[in-house]
Amino acid sequence: MNQTKKKNPLKRLLSMRGMGQVVTVTIGLIVLLVAFALINPNFWSPTNRTNLLRQIAPILIIGIAQSYVLITGNIDLSIGSVVGMSTMVAATLMSKGIMSPIPALLVTLLCCLLVGVLNGLLVAKFKLPPFIATLGTMTVARGIAQLVNGNYNTDSIMKFYPEAAQTFKNVFYYGKTLGLYNGIWIAIILWIVFNFLLSKTRTGRYIYATGSNIDAARLSGVNVVSTTVIAYVVSAFCSFVVGIITCATVGQGTMDAGNSYEMYAVAASVIGGVSTLGGQGILLGTVVGAAIWGTLQNGLQFAGAPVAIRNIIIGIIVVLSVLMDVVIRTGRRNTKGSD
Amino acid sequence: MKTEYIVEMTHITKTFPGVRALDDVSFNLKSGEVLALLGENGAGKSTLMKVLSGVYTRDGGEITAFGNKVEKMTPKRAKELGIAIIHQELNLCSHLSVAENIFLGQEIVKGGVVQRKQMNDEARAILKRLSLEIEPETLVGSLSVSKQQMIEIAKALLHKARVLIMDEPTSALTAKEINELFRIIRQLRDEGCGIVYISHRLEELQHIVDRVTIMRDGQYITSMDFKDTTLDTIISYMVGRDIKEKFPRIQMPVGETIFEVRNLNAGRMVRDVSFKARAGEIVGIAGLMGAGRTETTRAIFGADPKESGEILVDGKTVKIHGPHDAIRAGVVLAPEDRKKDGLCTKLSVRDNIALPNLDLLAPGALGVVRSLKEAQMVEAATKDFQIKMPNAEVDAASLSGGNQQKVVVSKWLARNSRVVIFDEPTRGIDVAAKVEIYNIMNRLKKEGIAVIFVSSEMPEILGMSDRIIVMCDGRITGEMDIREATQEKIMHYATQFENKLAQ
Repeated sequence: MNQTKKKNPLKRLLSMRGMGQVVTVTIGLIVLLVAFALINPNFWSPTNRTNLLRQIAPILIIGIAQSYVLITGNIDLSIGSVVGMSTMVAATLMSKGIMSPIPALLVTLLCCLLVGVLNGLLVAKFKLPPFIATLGTMTVARGIAQLVNGNYNTDSIMKFYPEAAQTFKNVFYYGKTLGLYNGIWIAIILWIVFNFLLSKTRTGRYIYATGSNIDAARLSGVNVVSTTVIAYVVSAFCSFVVGIITCATVGQGTMDAGNSYEMYAVAASVIGGVSTLGGQGILLGTVVGAAIWGTLQNGLQFAGAPVAIRNIIIGIIVVLSVLMDVVIRTGRRNTKGSD
Repeated sequence: MKTEYIVEMTHITKTFPGVRALDDVSFNLKSGEVLALLGENGAGKSTLMKVLSGVYTRDGGEITAFGNKVEKMTPKRAKELGIAIIHQELNLCSHLSVAENIFLGQEIVKGGVVQRKQMNDEARAILKRLSLEIEPETLVGSLSVSKQQMIEIAKALLHKARVLIMDEPTSALTAKEINELFRIIRQLRDEGCGIVYISHRLEELQHIVDRVTIMRDGQYITSMDFKDTTLDTIISYMVGRDIKEKFPRIQMPVGETIFEVRNLNAGRMVRDVSFKARAGEIVGIAGLMGAGRTETTRAIFGADPKESGEILVDGKTVKIHGPHDAIRAGVVLAPEDRKKDGLCTKLSVRDNIALPNLDLLAPGALGVVRSLKEAQMVEAATKDFQIKMPNAEVDAASLSGGNQQKVVVSKWLARNSRVVIFDEPTRGIDVAAKVEIYNIMNRLKKEGIAVIFVSSEMPEILGMSDRIIVMCDGRITGEMDIREATQEKIMHYATQFENKLAQ
């Protein structure tokens, strides 16, 4: 016990729970980056490095969302649809001149959080399988995204509030702070906040405990229902933010925004070492997972691979990561089961 | 008159890691008799029957069935020989029909098509033979438990079973249904079947049993004709062990009542339970498996909902709607199933000890965990309980059973609890670790904390408790001071089932 105190900071960081996998995937990330840079030197140009970061940012945010839910031992399939709903609701309110950006954001936030609460209650209180429950809310949220503007993409959000909407676009995506695009800053800030919440607070501990053993957590006095609801609400909040970033990026609402994002979120989490079986994983891993995902997308594009091929490669990598996770962890459990 | 044995088992041994479950056991069964196989929990009855039906492979000994030595008994071989087990939990598909269940796995098929009519006809014939008025097309799910049990019997008869093993068949039945079951058992007996009847309900034996075989601690004790014996004799054989182990009992003056349960009701397994625990005493709760002891502890702790009843700590009523209420009131539970209910095995020992104490370690709305305080708590707990591990960051799953149990207990003692309930705290841990758990219980007793201790191990209950409460069928059937407690007395109370067949 005393040994941990004497270790230097780097060693202590490396001995942290879940670091093993993070180190492994970080090495994988470096290999990928070097490989893509060798295939096409332009890949490592300053412009593309920034592009890469801007591509990774939203994936990191939804990765955080999915990681929270996965660590409680559940899954959130509604992430992509909530991103879409967020974009469409906000863009509709602004482009039709119903609300200026700030109230529009608040209304949108409320809609998204409702989905989160609903997900959490369906899963934790009414004991629906999370896959089915969030499949349902996924469909509903996508339906709302289509419905709000009568099944069309919205007009430009600049139409009624040229100035406010321009500020909105700058704040959430195009503006720069300290030389870094705001879209990237938002991901960094959310990561810091939610990493703190998960690793340093009571709520975070409860999230891990619920995912590790829901019965033991309950018998230790943990309110597993509210803990699960919190995880789903965090997920919905992150999806809301990504929806808003998307809206700011495009300058209008598109109905297919956020398509398949729930799967990208699973990919970022699982590649980064978050277990689909619950109770294990750290958000540092999700950063690397999101970076690998973004690097693959961007790098394959640079290498000239068409979208279809990119999808196939990324899909295979996701399935392999989950497979490895399940095989390794259940295998480990079986060997320990005999004691 | 010499009757032929249809099943003979001699010198059977079976060892599980760390336990000798069967030690040189002999067993035999005649054609046309009902044999009661009796013994306490863990006496080896079920293991022996699983060896007979091929579920477990024996380590040594011989099995002779119908005059032939059986070298390798497998479930398939047992089926061919006509040995069938009817488990306490029925194995039926409730959404299939009676006939489909009876023929499950050996449907009559012609040219790839299931012959429904023929199956229904044959099923009807078997049901008729049992004088059961059940239509083969009925869905099993719509039948009562007793009828479902009959379907299990019918299924066994389809396989031409000549040895029927029934494990606690009457526990879920009403008086009328028991009579119906007994009628069928008698009929099968008269047709020449041998029936092994496993039950704790001693008062029922007189209606059905011809012979008894008694086991204790994995050994064969005796066999005798039922008419030549009495229930008291049977009980004394069941429990008649010498207690050689020494228990670290300490004497304490008994103080005030700390904890009281009044008229607690929670489902069928907790009925009108009332008891007290005083400072300086360990209250043991004894009983057979399924007596409702675990259910009682869970209801007290708020893990399961209560229907009615009152719980008092230090003379004040406390409202417990969930475990967090109980913890706040100072009532804590070290549950029976460590891996399922006690530990988050994927998390570190530190996380596990801190988990129920985060209200103290991470106060405030934001709830930032004070890591220094946490480290102190964990260090104090691990030192106090001598938990053996490389460091507190290892997975809880990596510890030995005894050390896991110590983690489960230590996480509760890091806060000032008033009442500690242990449910089977020494199950599956080695002797040295057991003694450490006993010492922990004694320490709590010395500190004036009420200790409630559920155990199925008779020596342990007699060795550690100051007062013993016995449960059966969800009710408290007896209470005694340790000075007047004997194994026979406990067993007597533990088998006080509601006499459904009272005449």
